[in-house]
Amino acid sequence: MKKTGPDQPNVDRRGFLKGVAVAGGAGMAASSVARAQGVAPAARAAAPNAAQQAAEHDHPPEMEALTTEKTGSDFMVDVCKTLSIDYMAACPGSTFRGLQESFINYGQNKKPEWLTCLHEEVSVGMAHGYAKVAGKPMAAMLHGTVGVQHAAMAIYNAWCDRVPMMLFTASAGPVEDRRPGVEWAHSVQDGAVTVRDFTKWDDYPWSLQSFAESTVRAYQLSCAQPPGPVLITADGKLQEMELGKKESAKLKIPKLSMGTQAVADPAALKDAAKMLVAAENPVILVDRYARSQKGVDALVKLAELLQAPVVDNRSRMNFPTQHYLYQSARGGALVGQADCILSLEPVDLFGQLNRVRDQMERTWRSTKKANAKVVCISTHDLMVRANYQDFQRLSEADMNITADAEASMPYLIEAVQREIGENKTKFEARGQKMRDAAKGFNDRARAEGAIGWDSSPISGARLYAELWNQIKNEDWAFMSPNNYSGNWQHRLWPLEKHYQYIGASGGSGVGYEPVAALGAALAHRDAGGRFPVAVIGDGNFNMAPHVMWSAVHHKIPFLGIIQNNRAYHQEVMHIQRMANRHNRAVDSAVIGTVITDPNIDYAMNARSYGAVGIGPISDPKELGEALKKGVAAVKAGNPVLIDVIMQPRG
Amino acid sequence: MKIIASSFFAAGFSLAAGCAFAQTPAPAGNIENGKKHFASDGCYQCHGANADGAALTGPKLSRTTLPFDAFLMQLRKPSAEMPPYEAPIVSDQTAADIYAFVKSLPASPDAKSLPLLTGMGVK
Repeated sequence: MKKTGPDQPNVDRRGFLKGVAVAGGAGMAASSVARAQGVAPAARAAAPNAAQQAAEHDHPPEMEALTTEKTGSDFMVDVCKTLSIDYMAACPGSTFRGLQESFINYGQNKKPEWLTCLHEEVSVGMAHGYAKVAGKPMAAMLHGTVGVQHAAMAIYNAWCDRVPMMLFTASAGPVEDRRPGVEWAHSVQDGAVTVRDFTKWDDYPWSLQSFAESTVRAYQLSCAQPPGPVLITADGKLQEMELGKKESAKLKIPKLSMGTQAVADPAALKDAAKMLVAAENPVILVDRYARSQKGVDALVKLAELLQAPVVDNRSRMNFPTQHYLYQSARGGALVGQADCILSLEPVDLFGQLNRVRDQMERTWRSTKKANAKVVCISTHDLMVRANYQDFQRLSEADMNITADAEASMPYLIEAVQREIGENKTKFEARGQKMRDAAKGFNDRARAEGAIGWDSSPISGARLYAELWNQIKNEDWAFMSPNNYSGNWQHRLWPLEKHYQYIGASGGSGVGYEPVAALGAALAHRDAGGRFPVAVIGDGNFNMAPHVMWSAVHHKIPFLGIIQNNRAYHQEVMHIQRMANRHNRAVDSAVIGTVITDPNIDYAMNARSYGAVGIGPISDPKELGEALKKGVAAVKAGNPVLIDVIMQPRG
Repeated sequence: MKIIASSFFAAGFSLAAGCAFAQTPAPAGNIENGKKHFASDGCYQCHGANADGAALTGPKLSRTTLPFDAFLMQLRKPSAEMPPYEAPIVSDQTAADIYAFVKSLPASPDAKSLPLLTGMGVK
């Protein structure tokens, strides 16, 4: 960019021309403002004279090309279209203006379709929820610097939860091409550094060919187990550069080649099978294991072969909750009695096998027998970084098999079958014990569910029983983690299909629940005929209430229920613990933690975004009717939010 | 394990129930004052606004069958995760008031009388 002299008016002609070309509407609006203020446009932005024009151009201004047929961003769209990406979610940002225009016009806004989000955390969180239902990544576009900063927590959640997604950001290009001011603030030498500790791979390609190769590589890496977010920076100059036929012909988009997943060493599986078959009291702990119905079905097969109980930590839908071997309700006791523990994709193996007490003195104890053997099949060690501590405390396993547990499961089953041999009835007695125990779970869950049945605020069990009554005949899918309302969905509902539950955030970053629900609901909509429902904490919802607008705008129906305890209640309990520990003011834990005075009207909030809002419902007798209305509205194609005033914990 | 880790504040009231305590009569308690302190002193946070308990945080206290001595012991020297309530912050008399409040609460319905619950979870 040529410099203007001190005696010349400070008019950046190239910027002026660019601004007019790209944002004609804004230019007209500025003129309107000038007219309204009675200021002549010429006095605000004098048109450059011939000398200025000559000083800015290496060639006569009349020779300057102001339009072109194809740019680098069009080619970038060509690259993305070779990948299986159905959606690109974004909150607008000028650093990717070339790309956005190419996606919606050159790419005809199809595969990927552009989704409007009102915060980058929503764009990424949508991709998080979507991938866990669709089984493949969607994409999010993040504004240079500030957009990535907005998105960081949601990316961290996805990293911790091992979820694939394609992330793109942008930068304004080389210094001589940047307009003064904002373009510098939104430019960065290494934009990915903000999130590098919790992305699987990133790149800043400096040519279009490099963009093609890096983007295809990023997709492949994102999906390889363990999956994770990847980030590509699309340089502003590359986006907006003219792409002639000659240059275009030189470019080649690599073929997408999805790798097979890492399967366990057969010798290790044989040893593991021996230990499991020899055990008197084996138990299977399962966490971030199943990513498909095939994975669920295979685990059922293994559990039935061994007649071994399964304790599900619920990071995914791993095992049918009504199966007699689903024994999570007595997980602690089973671990304590076990002589062989098989842990599949644990998020926290140490936490599965130990208990840490949160008192003045932090003590911990093992919850398993000293001589119990632990076999772990996991991809955990394949994606560990130094800084963020989501890798959890080191736990001693007798066999640590580094492999993808779902992909390895058929081979473990074969190994167990070989060990069992002809003695098919070997574990029948153990199976009968499990059947007997399982009968008690339902009775106990119902008995506990009856406690506080008519309470106001409404109990967790009442909510889930009423909700079940309304959706039981639908092809429902639950999209919330919901540890905070008692896990009643796992205790009372028959979860059978993989898509019926998607687990938690991974990183416990607050705000995941509404945004992941929106993405999951999108995938359920595309799957056809499913009824998506989410129970969302009020604290979580307040991080992104505008998900309701995106849901309405893009016609993504779902039933959202606010579990409204009018607090960041986990934090209320933390502050209470500190006050008690210090023997003072035990009545002050609500300061800085509750969301009252005024109470928030979530139904009105939903309506303001164009969604259906119902509530607040505080009388349990009114809950059934409210849910019935909500279900009908969702079936009519609406996003619905029902505000339910609930107990602090379910 | 989440089942354990989520039992963040799993109050040890139920654990204390198994201990042997001399069943000295509870001091006379003021139900209204107990109700006030149950809310203001944070009991509701883990045990529910109506002392009905919560699956992952604290057991049911309404109509507790714990003797007062055991109730007080759990309050002062809690087992498991419950935060301690020592005398400077909850006096013996206030504890007795809270005890009287939770003892006075109405019984929950029998699950078998609730069709919504009985129709669920059929194996």
